[in-house]
Amino acid sequence: MKFGLTFVAALLVAVSTSHGHEAIFSWTYTTDLTPKGHGECEQWITTRWEKEHGSYSVIDFREEFEYGVTDNFQLAIYLNHHYVHANDDVPAEDPAHPGNRLRGAYVTGGEDVHAGHNPATVFDSYHFESVSLEGIYRLLSPYKDPLGLALYFEPSVGDQETELEWKILLQKNWLEDRLVWALNVNYELEFEKEDGGGYERDGKFEWFTGLSYRFVRNWSAGLEFWNHHEFADATVHEHSAYFLGPTIHYGGERWWATLGFLHQLPIGQAFSHDNKEFAAHDGYIFGDEHEKYYVRFRMGINF
Amino acid sequence: MKSEFAFIALPVSALIAPSAFAVRYLTVDQAQQAIFPGKSFTAAPVKLTSVQRKAIEQASGVRVLHDEQQVWRVSGGGWFIVDEVVGKHEFITYAAGLNLDGSVKQIEIMDYRETYGGQIRDQKWRAQFVGKTSKSTLKLDSDVKNISGATLSCRHITDGVKRLLAVYEIALRH
Repeated sequence: MKFGLTFVAALLVAVSTSHGHEAIFSWTYTTDLTPKGHGECEQWITTRWEKEHGSYSVIDFREEFEYGVTDNFQLAIYLNHHYVHANDDVPAEDPAHPGNRLRGAYVTGGEDVHAGHNPATVFDSYHFESVSLEGIYRLLSPYKDPLGLALYFEPSVGDQETELEWKILLQKNWLEDRLVWALNVNYELEFEKEDGGGYERDGKFEWFTGLSYRFVRNWSAGLEFWNHHEFADATVHEHSAYFLGPTIHYGGERWWATLGFLHQLPIGQAFSHDNKEFAAHDGYIFGDEHEKYYVRFRMGINF
Repeated sequence: MKSEFAFIALPVSALIAPSAFAVRYLTVDQAQQAIFPGKSFTAAPVKLTSVQRKAIEQASGVRVLHDEQQVWRVSGGGWFIVDEVVGKHEFITYAAGLNLDGSVKQIEIMDYRETYGGQIRDQKWRAQFVGKTSKSTLKLDSDVKNISGATLSCRHITDGVKRLLAVYEIALRH
């Protein structure tokens, strides 16, 4: 935690002395890539909090270095680590009726709580999660073609889980490229370590979309929308959750920063018995995967 | 949760505090002498009518952002125009010198503050526009080469010159 704070503070001080690039959205990727021979260092900080009950808050940190191998192919490496605080956040299972919740009883759990943790106690931990590699190949440029199109692949390896993620990135610009719309269609396979040993396989289908307008020089603002579908064992459709929120972006000559907020919309749908029982609450989907609020800050330095 | 809000406050202050340096490579006088050395210039600003604006947009296929165009008449013939186009982050200010026959004599980048693509200031890239007329294609990757990482800037400068050549045909030629 202290390390993270120190790192971010140092990064902010370092860039504040340089003059003023780029993710114009907080969650949605565009097809813009780092040009051949150039690199970028990027810091991601995502805070997410509030479940059905108790307390649950996570600060996710990602440090990224990306490099333009060609003008249309970019490689990146990420370090993923986070701080998690959880207490009495997930509904307890009724021992007399397995598969059903025990009304009014909660335990400590969730995707970010390590396998083997005693669910009756508070979980408070900093953890280095995983290392990710990312490759993005652009097929069409939004500046030269009617639509920007890129393909994305990201494998992640960690001690608690291993992930494989694929994305299709689309981008369309209008008004001298000041109005940007982007759509990402994602599929992710996740192999998560279980309490009894072994790995649980989950599938995620998601789509993100964002619309952003550069309202004055250097500054753009917009809205982002996220729809997440979870599949147990990558086959059983468990739920669909929806998120919406604003994003603001500053882009300068050598650095850029983006701040975005997402609020889960109370229109989530639980499909499996398990999710109806344990994850759905007042229209929201919590369970292992989601929180009510998300704030993400990204900052990049180009060189 | 207090610690989370500290992490939100830090980025917000970082977003608000710094601002980009304004870098001007060439003043109007310097750009005039770079394109038309030794000549004198008479300001002849143009205010486009809505009919002219539509005609320019139709002829060039490029939207006109400003009705007022900074134009100078050059002694001995020719036109000097200062124009700006949308860059990745900021406006790119450039000057175009047109010969008496309306062909491009030279272009100069006056302001450029983008992360990549400073090569558009290179004489070699700018030289691609020399001799272009309103009849030229002026299309990126066709008769104008792109610069790696600065596609947006290259396209907008190219579109800008195409629009200025239409301005000449519709508002300056006669």
